[in-house]
Amino acid sequence: MTQNLVLAIETSCDETAAAVVADGKNVLSSVVSSQVDIHARYGGVVPEVASRAHVDLITPVIAQALVEAGIDHSDVDLVAATRGPGLIGSLLVGVSAAKSLALVWKKPFIGVNHLEAHLYSCFLEEPDLELPLVVLLVSGGHTMLIAMDDHLSYKILGQTLDDAAGEAYDKVARYLGLGYPGGPIIDQLAVSGKPEIEFPRPMLHEGYNFSFSGLKTSVINYVRKNPGTPIEDIATSFQEAVVDVLVTKAKKAAIEINAKGLCIGGGVAANSRLREAVLDVCLQEGLHSFVPSRSYCTDNAAMVAAAAWRRYSQDGPSSLYTGADPNLRLPE
Amino acid sequence: MLILGIESATSQVGCAIGGHEGVLASTHSSRGKRHAENLTPQIDFVRQQARVELDEISVVAVDIGPGLYTGLRVGVAAAISIAFGLGIPMIGVSSLDLIAYPARHCQKLIVAAIDARRDEIFHASYRQVPGGIQRVSDPTVSSPQDLSAEIQAQGNETLMVGDGAIRYADQFENLRGVEPAEPGSAYPSASSLVQLAHAKALREEFVNPSELKPLYLRKPDALEINKQRRRM
Ligand SMILES: [Zn+2]
Repeated sequence: MTQNLVLAIETSCDETAAAVVADGKNVLSSVVSSQVDIHARYGGVVPEVASRAHVDLITPVIAQALVEAGIDHSDVDLVAATRGPGLIGSLLVGVSAAKSLALVWKKPFIGVNHLEAHLYSCFLEEPDLELPLVVLLVSGGHTMLIAMDDHLSYKILGQTLDDAAGEAYDKVARYLGLGYPGGPIIDQLAVSGKPEIEFPRPMLHEGYNFSFSGLKTSVINYVRKNPGTPIEDIATSFQEAVVDVLVTKAKKAAIEINAKGLCIGGGVAANSRLREAVLDVCLQEGLHSFVPSRSYCTDNAAMVAAAAWRRYSQDGPSSLYTGADPNLRLPE
Repeated sequence: MLILGIESATSQVGCAIGGHEGVLASTHSSRGKRHAENLTPQIDFVRQQARVELDEISVVAVDIGPGLYTGLRVGVAAAISIAFGLGIPMIGVSSLDLIAYPARHCQKLIVAAIDARRDEIFHASYRQVPGGIQRVSDPTVSSPQDLSAEIQAQGNETLMVGDGAIRYADQFENLRGVEPAEPGSAYPSASSLVQLAHAKALREEFVNPSELKPLYLRKPDALEINKQRRRM
């Protein structure tokens, strides 16, 4: 690998991010400009609002990433951008920016899969993680259990059949009138609650797929029937049910495929209860656990750079005809 | 002074390079709305045709709309990135100015109208002035019916241009003194952009990439929330 300084851009949803990473692991800068305050007013991500904000933020964020890394653009060896999956209007801003910079700086460009980037967030801080690994990728858009046998080689063991885990958090929070985004709010409330309500654990012992829609419905039904229940107890009990399902399946998968370790990634991986439960289960089972820093769980461009660096060394650059693909899948 | 012009606010995407000597090379494509895919290779092609290196470019001009938001943003994101990447200033020009500009020799009132979808059009009016055209109304979005009523009320000899005027031709065809739009006037051209930007560049009407604002004319539709797959 001769390309060692990667400038990466991430605009798949509502964070405008840019990072400079050396050799796929040394993060020289990672700038994330979150639009969460803008979208909180609407109670969720409005795609057109997100796209407009990306246009306003993209060059200031890239400029900041270069300044914080202490490099000049002539030092950049590879320009990368997330090309999917995500919101099409948002993705197009990052892809167009990255291709343009690659063209004027005469550097190679590479389009990156956002899911692959989340998987590579684990390698930013632990580049020598031993394979095979089981990765639990949980966010507002995805809930996936992935077996990673080798670099850039994956098998999806299971995924959600309905709501993603983060989506369930948002919907429950919205129902309880707690605001948006739901994950951090429920996580915070759950600290002081008691896990006394037995919410169902959907599909707990049925394979590796997930279903969170029924759990959300039972929470709503419970609150209707028991209006006086402390909201903290509901938050804790709901969170316990989600984490129990996620961790039970991840553990089972890790044992079954004889994984060396278990990792988590995605926005929900910033959840404190999930992080704790993953560490516990790994300790019990003698698995190596890896829980990335919270700032590398939520959307960021450092993980995009890490995945770009791996992909580039295997496949070379992407064509300048590359576009965005809102439904891009993880290559299996 | 060499200007790179980028235009992607309608169903067409194009770019051109020019300056004091006029337009050196230009290109456009209108197939399948592949703005993001096509734009960067087009810029590289135009550069080669013009026989210049991109670091010889001293100004980036871009169509700031109004137009179709997704396409518009592809051009604007590319243009601000190029200006940022080369450390050069920008000039923003409205798509309505661009479709009115080729009609600058016409004595009539020129009404530029761009299809805004959802049964609406973006439009503005122009008058001939020495050396070009001058906008006499602010860019607005309205129904074709409202625009038609306005044209009638003003009673000027009027020339219609733009894909909005063509799409809703039935709203304008029977109005007295109104000359309907020709298919050739449907889209903004990157060549017009470079020409208009050149005049602005001589007057030093530059902006920085972070100051360039697309002209959307509509608030985002908050009801679109969560219709698309949301955050990852
Ligand atoms: Zn994500």
